[in-house]
Amino acid sequence: MLEQSVVYLFVALVLIGGCMAAFSRQVLYAIIGLGISLLGLAGLFLSLGSPFVAAMQVLIYIGGITVAIVFAMMLSIAMSVRPPDPDVRKSMFAIGCAVVFFFAVAYLIRDTSFPQVASPASEKAWSVGALGHALLTHYNLVFETLSLVLLLAIIGAILIARKEKT
Amino acid sequence: MTLEAYLIVAAALFALGLIGAMSHRNLIALLIGIELMMNAASLNLMAFNRFVVADPTVGQIFVLIIIGLAAAEVAIFLSIILRLYRAYRDIDAEKLTELSG
Amino acid sequence: MDTLLLILLTTGAPLACFVIALLFLVQRPRAAQGTVLFGSAVSVISAIGLLLQGAVAPLRFLWFQSGGIQLQFGFLLDGASLMFGVVVALITACIMLYSTGYMARDPGKTRYFALLSFFAWSMLSFVYAVDLLQAFIFWELVGLSSFFLIGFWFEKPEAAGAARKAFLMTRIGDVGLFIGILLILQLAQSFDLPGLLDPQSGLATRVSPDALNAIALLIFIGIMGKSAQFPLHTWLPDAMEGPTPVSALLHSATMVAAGVFLMIRLHPLFMAAQDAALIVLTLATFTAILSSTIAMVDSDMKKVLAYSSISQLGFMLMALAAGSLFAGVFHLITHAVFKALLFLCSGIYIHAYHTNHMVEIGRRGGRRLKTATLGLLIGGAALAGVPPLAGFWSKEEIFAQLGRDGFTLYMGGAFLAAFLTAYYTFRMIFLIAKPDRIRAADDSPSEPLAMKIPVWLLALGAIVLGLFGRNIASGLGLIAPHHTFASMLPAIGVVILGIAIAYFDYGRDNAPRTGFIGKIAPLNALFVNKWYIDDFYRVTLVAMTHALSRVLHWVETHILDNNYDRFGLGILRTGAKSTRIQNGWMQLYLGWAILVLAVVALVLG
Repeated sequence: MLEQSVVYLFVALVLIGGCMAAFSRQVLYAIIGLGISLLGLAGLFLSLGSPFVAAMQVLIYIGGITVAIVFAMMLSIAMSVRPPDPDVRKSMFAIGCAVVFFFAVAYLIRDTSFPQVASPASEKAWSVGALGHALLTHYNLVFETLSLVLLLAIIGAILIARKEKT
Repeated sequence: MTLEAYLIVAAALFALGLIGAMSHRNLIALLIGIELMMNAASLNLMAFNRFVVADPTVGQIFVLIIIGLAAAEVAIFLSIILRLYRAYRDIDAEKLTELSG
Repeated sequence: MDTLLLILLTTGAPLACFVIALLFLVQRPRAAQGTVLFGSAVSVISAIGLLLQGAVAPLRFLWFQSGGIQLQFGFLLDGASLMFGVVVALITACIMLYSTGYMARDPGKTRYFALLSFFAWSMLSFVYAVDLLQAFIFWELVGLSSFFLIGFWFEKPEAAGAARKAFLMTRIGDVGLFIGILLILQLAQSFDLPGLLDPQSGLATRVSPDALNAIALLIFIGIMGKSAQFPLHTWLPDAMEGPTPVSALLHSATMVAAGVFLMIRLHPLFMAAQDAALIVLTLATFTAILSSTIAMVDSDMKKVLAYSSISQLGFMLMALAAGSLFAGVFHLITHAVFKALLFLCSGIYIHAYHTNHMVEIGRRGGRRLKTATLGLLIGGAALAGVPPLAGFWSKEEIFAQLGRDGFTLYMGGAFLAAFLTAYYTFRMIFLIAKPDRIRAADDSPSEPLAMKIPVWLLALGAIVLGLFGRNIASGLGLIAPHHTFASMLPAIGVVILGIAIAYFDYGRDNAPRTGFIGKIAPLNALFVNKWYIDDFYRVTLVAMTHALSRVLHWVETHILDNNYDRFGLGILRTGAKSTRIQNGWMQLYLGWAILVLAVVALVLG
C-alpha cells in the first residue's frame, strides 16, 4: 500500500514537472520543471525494478543535462529580460495538437490487449551484473557506436561553440 | 500499477513535451520540450520491457542508449544555441529566418 | 533478281531521294533535280522488273502484334498492283522530266522535286500495300503530299486555300473510310488484304449482308473524297492552283487514282455488297454526267480537264460497281496515260502564254506549238473515245459490262456522259487549234526538249495502250470479253455525234462559238455555276459552321473562359494559401506531423 502511494507520488512528480516545463514562461522555471519531471521518472524506473537505470537517469539527466541547460541559459539570455508575450493562437494550436494526440494514444492503449507476462523476471536477472554482461557481449556494437557518437558530439560541440579567430 | 497506467503516463508526458516544444519561441524551452518527449519514450520502453518482454536487459539498454544520445544531442544543441546567440544576440526561434525564402 | 530487293528499290528509291534532297541539297537545286530523276528512273526500272517477274506470293513482315490482331507491313504483288505500279512509276518519271523544263526558274525547285519524290513514294507504297492499315497510312500520306504540292505556291492565297480545301474535303471522306476499316477490324480481327478478300474464307463469306453494305458504303465515302465523286468533288477543280505538272500527276496516276485503286483492291467486297454497289453505280453515273456538263461551258483549260477527270473517274467506278474489275483497271490505266498527256500539253501552253483561258491561248497562236497541239489532239481523241485510241477500248469495256448485266438506265447515262465528253473535248481542241482570229505573233514561244519528250512518250502510250487490253486482263487473271464490230457501233456513234456537234458549234468556219447549250438559258446558268454545288456548300455547310463557331465562341468566352480563369485563380489562391503552411516554422510542422500521426492511429487502431 505504501509502495503504491509512493509510485503515485512519482507519477504526480512527473506530471507536475512536465506541466511546469510546458507552460511556464520563464525559462528557468521550465528547467526546474524538467528536473522535477526527470526525478519522478527516475522513481518510476525504480518502481519498474531497474535501480541502475534510475541512478543513471538522476546522474546524467539531472546532474548533467539539466545543469548544462542552465549554463546555456545563463550564457545566452539575460535573466532580467522579460520574456516576450506568448502567441495565444500558437499556444492554442500546440495544446490542441497535444490533446488530440493524447486522446488518440489513450484510445489506442485502451483498445489494445497487451500480452502480459505472468511473473516479471526475477530480481537477479535485473542486476547490474547481468546488464553489464549484456552490454559487453550481445550489445557490444551498439555500446561502441554510442561511445563514438558521444565523442563526435563532444568534438562537434567544441567546434561549433568556440570563438572564431578573427 | 498496470502497463496501461504507465503507458498513459508516458503519453501524458509526451503531450506535455509537445506543448513545450510547440508553444515556446525560446530555443532552450524548445529543447526542454524535446527532452520531455524523449523521456516519455524511455518510460514506454521500460514499461514494455517489464510487463511484455521477458528479457530483462533489452529495455534497460535501450533507455541507457537514449540517455547517451540525449547527452550528445544536448551538447550539440547547446553549442548551437551559444553560437546563434553570439551571432544574433537572440535565440528566438521565429526570428532566425535568414534562410527563409 | 530478288523480288524483295526489287520492291524495296521501287518504293525506297523515291523515299531516299526525298530525304537526300531535303537534307543535303536545299542549296543545290540542280543536284536535287538530278537525284530525284535518278531515283525515279530506278523506281521505274525495278517496277518493270517486278512486272516481268509476274505475280508472286505476298511478302509480309510482322510490324507488331496486339492480342490476336497482327499488324503487318508488306507488299502485295498481284496483277493489279504490279501493272498499276509500273504506270505510277512511269508517269511520275515522265512528269518529273517535264518539270525540269516547266519549273526551270522556280526558286523552290528542291522542295518541289523532293515533294514529287515523296508523292511517288507514298503512292507506290499504297499500291503495293498488303495490309489494310498500311494502305490507309499511305493513303493519308498521298493526301498529305498532294496538300503540299497543290499549295506549292503557298504565297498565293488561292493556292493555299485550294490546298486546304483539298485536304479538308478528302479528310471528310477519310473519316468514313477509317470507320469502315475499324469495322472490318472488329468483324474480321485482321487487316490482311489477301485474307480478307479470299473467296472461300474472306470477310464476304463471314459477315451479314447488312454489315457488308455498311462497310462498303463507309469505304466508298473515303473513295468519294479521294477520287472526287459527287458530293465531295469540289476540291479537284480548285486543286488546279498548283503547278500544272502537279495537276497532271494528281489527275492521272496518283491522288485521285488512289480512290479507284482502293475500290479495285476491295472489289470482291463491293461485289458481295450488292446494295452498296448499286449506290456506288448511281452516284458514279451521276457524277460522270454532272461533271461533263460543267466541262462543256468552262473556258479555263485546266478546269475543263479537271472536270473531265472527275467524269472519267466516275466511269471507272461505274465499271467496278457494275462488276467488271477488268474494265475498271483498264480505264484507270489508259486514263492515267492520256490525262497526264493532256495536262502536260496544257502545261506547255500555260508555260508559253501564262494564261489558262482557252480562247486566249487559241487567239495568241497556240497552234504554233506543234508538240503540244499534236499531243492535245491525240490525248483529246483518246479521252473522247475515238477509235482506235486507248480511251475507246477501255470505255467500250465499260459499256459492254453495263449492257451485259442489264443496267440499261446506267448504260444510257454512260452514253450521255461519253457524248458530252466527246463534245467538250473537241470544243477544247477547236478553241485552241482553230481560233476565229490570230493576233499578230509578237513572240515565238518555245517548247523545251525536256517538256517535249514526256509528251511524245505519253502520246505513244495513248495511241497503242488500247491494244493491250487482252494482256491487262490476263495480268489480272481474267479473260477479256470479245467484242464484235456491231457491239462497238453505239459507242462510235455517240463519239461521232459529239464531235460533229462540237464541230458545228466551234470548229467550222464562221462557227457561232457558243455551245448549243447556250440556247437553253436555265441549263446554261446551271452548268456555268457548276450546279451551284459550291454555293450550296457556302450557304449551308459553311454558314452552319460559322454559326456553330459563333455559338462555340460565345460559350468559350462567356462560360469556359470565366470558369477556367476562376479555376486558375483558385489554384493560384490555393497555392498562396498553402505556402503559408510552408512558412519555415518548424513548430508548426511538428504539430501537423503529430496530428497526422494521431489521425492515422485512430483510423488504423
